[in-house]
Formats: sequence, structure tokens, C-alpha cells
Amino acid sequence: MLLKSLDHVFWLGRYLERLDDTARLINATSHVLIDSHQDTQFGWPILLEVLGQDSAALLQKFQQGDTPLTLAETERAVMACLINAPDSPVSIRATCAALKQNARTLRPLIPRDMWEELNALDLFLQQHCSTAVSRQQRYQLMAEVSRRCQMVVGVLDGTMLRGDAFDVFNIGRHLERADMTTRIMDVLVLQQLQPTQIKRPKFRWLSVLNALGGMESYQYYLAHQKGDVDAIDYLLTYADFPRSISYCLNRVAASAKTLPHAGAILAQLQQVQALLKPQALSELSTVQLHSLIDELQAGIIGLHQQILEPCLQPVAVVQLSA
Amino acid sequence: MGQSFSGYPQLPDCFDELVSPAGTARAPATAIARFIERHGTTELLRRQQQLDQTIRSMGVCFTLYSEGQNIDRAWPLDVMPRTIPLSEWRRTSAGLMQRLQALNLFIDDLYHDQRILRAGIVPAELVLQSRNFLAPCRGVSPPFGVWSHICGTDLVRDGQGQFLVLEDNLRVPSGVSYMLENRTVMKRVFPELFADSTIVPVDDYPHQLWKMLASLSPRPGDVPCIVLLTPGIYNSAYFEHSYLAQQMGIELVENTDLQVDADGVYLRTLNGLQRVDVIYRRVDDIFLDPTVFRPDSVLGVPGLFQAWAKGQVAIANAPGSGVADDKVIYAYVPQIIEYYLGEKPLIDNVPTYLCSDEQQRAYVLANLDQLVVKPANESGGYGILIGPRATDAERALMAEAIAKDPRNFVAQPTLQLSTAPTLCDGVLEPRHLDLRPFVLQGRDLYCSTGGLSRVALRRGSLVVNSSQGGGSKDTWIINDEV
Repeated sequence: MLLKSLDHVFWLGRYLERLDDTARLINATSHVLIDSHQDTQFGWPILLEVLGQDSAALLQKFQQGDTPLTLAETERAVMACLINAPDSPVSIRATCAALKQNARTLRPLIPRDMWEELNALDLFLQQHCSTAVSRQQRYQLMAEVSRRCQMVVGVLDGTMLRGDAFDVFNIGRHLERADMTTRIMDVLVLQQLQPTQIKRPKFRWLSVLNALGGMESYQYYLAHQKGDVDAIDYLLTYADFPRSISYCLNRVAASAKTLPHAGAILAQLQQVQALLKPQALSELSTVQLHSLIDELQAGIIGLHQQILEPCLQPVAVVQLSA
Repeated sequence: MGQSFSGYPQLPDCFDELVSPAGTARAPATAIARFIERHGTTELLRRQQQLDQTIRSMGVCFTLYSEGQNIDRAWPLDVMPRTIPLSEWRRTSAGLMQRLQALNLFIDDLYHDQRILRAGIVPAELVLQSRNFLAPCRGVSPPFGVWSHICGTDLVRDGQGQFLVLEDNLRVPSGVSYMLENRTVMKRVFPELFADSTIVPVDDYPHQLWKMLASLSPRPGDVPCIVLLTPGIYNSAYFEHSYLAQQMGIELVENTDLQVDADGVYLRTLNGLQRVDVIYRRVDDIFLDPTVFRPDSVLGVPGLFQAWAKGQVAIANAPGSGVADDKVIYAYVPQIIEYYLGEKPLIDNVPTYLCSDEQQRAYVLANLDQLVVKPANESGGYGILIGPRATDAERALMAEAIAKDPRNFVAQPTLQLSTAPTLCDGVLEPRHLDLRPFVLQGRDLYCSTGGLSRVALRRGSLVVNSSQGGGSKDTWIINDEV
């Protein structure tokens, strides 16, 4: 694989996962948020915070003069930012454009079937995500985006050559997923808890699990675990659940082990995995849990840099004979 | 047979590819004629829609530059194929291979002994003063003495249906990916027409291209490392670059992926540097190496030219091959073929008058209203006078320019390009078209099965370029020998 392709393949994986995760996030939280108009803490802007955006600054652009946005206007503005606004960096439309751009650069590595599936996804979004989407259409649309992302992954899994590119793509997907899971936990769960609490409360906010497609397996987890566990243990440490942090990190490790710079990646990875010792988790206060999530996020950023590190090596300067 | 083309408004002076002057289907078009007879043009229209959808989902596109923006346009393909009998194609492809073989002997001679110039067959000043003659290439001996490995020859038919060569594209000809994708699309849209298997397949080309490139490797015996060098994703032919790289299973690289040291050219991979043996370059000569050609080139690889000249790496097409791709040299190709091969050309040129020759110039000046006059050293259609469509004032200006610098002009009769039935607003109408086959030469010679048929979609137009309202057709070589 070309050295420069490392960066493109990695981002191809991240963007594809981000597209899927954004669609899931919108659907899973919509039902809760529609009912939560009395609760100022659980407003629509929180979805922008999950994606690392300054919601106040973004939403100001939608405001006419000093009049604050109504609840319905806020919902429309947030959804525009998440789905179709051309200048929103986190919109599904922008993510898909970035995905397509990476795929274009990588065309020779991408099997024809996957290329066609990516095109179909892009055409679908151009057709359905270019204008405002009503609440009624939204659920169907997001479910379809998610489904089409899964089709791309499925086709790729069935046709792509097992080599460095395939491994790096999977590392990108799972790192993005781990990143999204920590963000969701951080914003949707932890920021809503009082930081003064000595011991964290048992938290069973099911919409988070819905966003991650993990409702049923959570019930299974609860039924089969000894001790007092909750959604936080599940999302962080349950390695059989494909959206838990543990699972994602294991997959990154498995995919990284044959890369030329596996040593540095795996060393970094072990430090992140060490944060997830299950015994310690149940004793954490909310504040400590918060800082654990911060450490995980910093670890994910460190991994990201470690994976792309070879791209940063300077080109060897060669003296040419005249 | 042939009923389906009744009412087809054939053009009187043009050869039609599918329809005989009597209005019946020509033999190779029988199957498509029968299809139209059975299903009608409404079904054709339905298939055209299905075809357009297929092209979008396959992502077959070309890039237009407009207002500083890159726009991917869906590739235009007409649902009606163009048919050619295999027996005729055999003769034509033999002529194309003959031509490329002679042109390569010519280029190699020009950069070595220049026998043909000393023999007075081609005037020496035409070659030596041409900006396409690259002095640094003198004395370089690429493998097999071949310089132009991939040639896209533009063919047209005259009013009698005779194939003529309009242009030799010996530098970085493009379009072959569309030839291949057109066929993929048509097979999905007309599975029933491919079922009787008299349509000769085209999909051998990428393998033949790979084989040709591999034959150039300076390390025979080892698995060659072949790369395709592209100017990048913003180039208008990027689709083709990435497509061909994928079809051949080779790396698609930009200049920053390559580096040169005293031993040769290397590829920067995740696993370190890898030796490169053959570069299929889609970057123009003058941008290849800033230390030899344009110093401001941002697409080039410093040192690449020297590595090639030393034989450390093969480049296809070789730098300097454009010297034989020139409108004045073109007029001498029949003599070039005779000189090197001792054979008569199997495909004729379009008659070409050289204004440098006194008699021919007199003829050109007397017949400006019937001729097309082209400057010898321009490309992209600049400075061309189409006599029958020009004003008196324009013709007078051209006469003056010819008198001032006769060597810089050639003239050709205005051609009645052949036509083929094309679906326009749901109706079959004749549209003009040309054909670009692709010819390969390395250790062996190869000619594509048919080529890319480009069609002028506007009524009466002769402009086939996709950037200017041109479309394409799948070219069916029909086996008439079974």
C-alpha cells in the first residue's frame, strides 16, 4: 500500500462509521427529545455537543435578530446542522462528501461492488438529504442511511483483499466507533449528572443504548452478569458488544498487529486498555468517571496520531548528480 | 429484415454504420434491428433510462472545469451501439499496427541516426525545428526501440465508408476506460443481445496493457513493479487513471509518491521504499522532470528523466514520442511506412495539402472555400479555418497568413463523416461519429477490439468531444466469420 493511502483508507473507515453513527444518534435520541421540551437540560442542541460542536455558536446563525429560537425552530436548525446544512462540518451531507473524496483517491484499492455501493449511497443522500427533512421523513431516512452504510461495509467485507488497506480501514471504523461511544457517554450521560455526587448513580438511560443498537444485548448482559452492573459498565467493558469501548479496542489491536508500525500502535493501545479494569469502575465517583472518559478520549486521539505517524516522516532528501 | 429503420432520415452523402442506402439494416446490425422491430423505440427509450441509471450508480464520469470548480458529469452513452464486421476490423487493426510500428521506427531513427532525414524523405527542418523534438532524448535507447507504447488513433469514414486516419495520438491518449465501461453497461442493459455471443469481447485490453508494460521492465524475470503516474484527482482524466490502475492491479501514484536516487526510481510505501520498474505516465512530457524540462513543474519527479535515459526505469510513452504526433509529420506517414517497412499503408490518410509545397499551396489558396485549414503546431482546435463555413474576410485573412508562413499550415478536404442511428428525444436520427482504437507496442503488437466511438449529439455537428456536447457509443465488432 502506498504510504499516502494510509491516511485516506483510515479516514474512509472513520467517515463511513461516522455517517452510520450520526444517523443512529439522530433516530435514537429524537423520540426522547421530542418529549423533553420541559427539560432545559435535554434540549436538541445537545446532539451538536455530542459531535463536538459549539451549539450556541452554530445556532446563532439561524436566529433572526435577538429573538430566541422556538423549540420547533431549534429542532429544525439542529437537524439542518446534522443532516443537510452545506456549511456544517458534522452534517451527514458533509461527511458523505468527505467519504466520497477519500474513496475517489483510493479508487484502485476499492472493489467494484463496493464502489457501486458507495455511489448508490452518495446518490441517495444527494437526492434525499439536500433539502430540509420533515420529522415524519426523518426516521425512515436515517434508518436508510444506516442500512446503506452497513451495505457498504458488508460488500467490502465480502470482496476486499485482506491486506494493509483492509486492516487500516477496520482500524478507522473501530476507532471512530469508540470515539463516538465515549462522546455519547460524555454528553448524553455524564454531563447531565451532578458532579458533586460521591458515588455514581445507577444509570439506565435506554435511549443511549438505542443509539448504539445495543438494547437487546444489554438485557442479555444484565441477565448474565454477576454483581451490580449498569449501562456504563456495559458500554465501557463488555467486549462481546460490538459498540463497547473494549470491543473496539480489541478490534483495533487485531487489525493493527500485522502493520509495519504495529509495535508503536499496540503499546499505545495497551495504555488505553489499562484504563478499563472492570473492578475499579464500580468504585468511581461521577467526577472520576468523567476524568476516565477524558482519558479515554485523549487515548483515542493518541492512537489516531500513532496510526498515521508514518505519513509524517519527511521525504528522504536525495542528492542528484547533475 | 431492415423494416425497423424505415423512416430513418439518412443523410444523402454520408455512409451510415448501421443502415444501408436502401434503408435496410447492414448485416452486423441485424440483431439490433430485430430488437427494435420486436420492441419498438419506446423500449429503446426505456433501456436508455436504465442505462443512464446504471452509469450513475457505476460512477462512470468525466470531469469538467467550470468557474474554478470541478464537476463530475455522468458519462454520456447512447443506447444504440455502433456495429463493425470482424472481417473489416481485422484489416483495419492490421493497418493500425502497421502504422504504429512504422512511427516507432521513425521516432527511434530521429533520436539516433536520422537516416530518413538524410534520405530526404521527410524534410530535416520540419523535425529539428519542431518543439516536440526533445534534444535531451537523443541517443537514448528504450526497450525494443519503441517510444510510443500506447497510441490512440482517430479514425473516420469518408462518404464511401472507407476508414481513414485523421490523427495519431502518440503522447498520452485517453478514452480507453470508457470503451471498457461502455461495454460493461451495455451488457447489463441488453443481456439478450449479448446472449448469442457474436459480439467480440473487449475486456482483454487491461491485461494486454499490463503485459505490454511488463515487457518493458529493466529487470526481466522479476515480478515488475508497474505504476500509473497521474497528475492527481483534479485532472480531467482522473477517472480513467484510477480505473486503469485498478483493472491492472497496479499502484496509482502522484509525483510525491516517487523518489529517485542514483540507482533508480522508488515508491514510498507503508513498508518502506520499493523499486519501480515501469511507469505508465499520464503526465505530459514537459512536466515530467523539472530538472530537464519545465523547472516550474509541480507534477514532475526530479531525476526521473536521467533514470529513464540510463535504463533504470521504463516510461510509457517515452519522453519525446510526441515528435511524430504533429500535423505536418502526419502528412508524411504514408512515406514513413514505405521507407521503414517497405509496405503500402493499409489505411490511408485523409488527403493533406502542405502549404510549404508550392503546387499544393496554390491548390489550397484556390480552394479555400472547400478546405479545412489547420495550423501545424496548435492543438485543441485553435486557429482552424473551416472553409465552407467561413466568411470571405476570414478566408482572406487565412490566405494572408499562409503566404506569410506557409510551413505552418496544412489543409484537408471537408469530410462527410459517417453517421449512425442515435436516440435523440425518443427518435432515431443520424449523428456523425468517429472511432478511437487503442494500439499497443512493447515486445508485441496489439490492437483493441474496436475502440471508443464518439458521437456528435447535436444535429449536423462534427464535434465529438465530450466537453462540447459529444457522446459515445458502444462499438460492437460482430463476428461475421462463423
